[in-house]
Amino acid sequence: MDLPGLVEYIAKSLVEDPSQVQVETVESANSITLELHVAQNDMGRVIGKSGRIANAIRTLVRVAALREGKRVNLEIV
Amino acid sequence: MSESSREFSGKTIDEAIAKGLAELGLPREAVNIETVREGSRGLLGLGGEDAAVRLTPLALPAEEMKDSRSSAQEILETLLGGMGIKAGVQVVDDPAPESPNAFVLNIVGDDLGVLIGRRGETLRDLEYITRLMVAQKLGKPARLVVDVEGYRTRRERVLCELAKRMAERVEASRQPITLEAMPPNERRIIHLTLRDHPNVRTNSIGEGEHRRVMILHK
Repeated sequence: MDLPGLVEYIAKSLVEDPSQVQVETVESANSITLELHVAQNDMGRVIGKSGRIANAIRTLVRVAALREGKRVNLEIV
Repeated sequence: MSESSREFSGKTIDEAIAKGLAELGLPREAVNIETVREGSRGLLGLGGEDAAVRLTPLALPAEEMKDSRSSAQEILETLLGGMGIKAGVQVVDDPAPESPNAFVLNIVGDDLGVLIGRRGETLRDLEYITRLMVAQKLGKPARLVVDVEGYRTRRERVLCELAKRMAERVEASRQPITLEAMPPNERRIIHLTLRDHPNVRTNSIGEGEHRRVMILHK
């Protein structure tokens, strides 16, 4: 399952500047952390009011990761 | 000939077209162009005849509608593919009369409960992200609903019936009934169902996730 690819696809479709979208993966034994980087001006487009967009993206990533049996964290940095 | 077509004239055909497009405020690809008169220069600048064209705006709204529907469908299909979900996406008109241009993206496939989630929360997030992605792509708000195997339609029917049944009970007992906690769209269905009820009224109590509809005797 390409979790970073999923996050990248979603983020690129939401921002004004897709060229600045980058996803880094930090994997450990039972969890995966995805770090999403976007242009400063686009932060609001992936976080949303009180994190609503970020949380919705997390929901979708969690569904995608179900079969992996791993915990996935999404951080927007 | 469509009633929205108009004729424009100019010294040459190109000039007539340019004049027409400027006046209609449309790009060339948004109109159908017919030549009415080729125009002629005449002799020594005398007796010349202007060229004339008839411009008919193409049915843009329908085009645009089709466009936003197929983009939305494509985006949701790609999104589901990226999530590792094997499912198809059907596009259907939104049956709600208050939203004539809206449409429903109905996800069909096996074992899709995971897309609905507890109290439909996953489905709500999926719809939210899909709407944002489509809106960003089209540059305007997207009026779309995302459903899974008709879940929302079924749920709506269930909630309507529940509302009516509970209203009857409140009428009989004159005691208020508080329903279980529901997300905003579901509470809305209860409120709307009982809006014109002669003997009961509805109210919402509690905050956030715990907000519940209360049915009271008038």
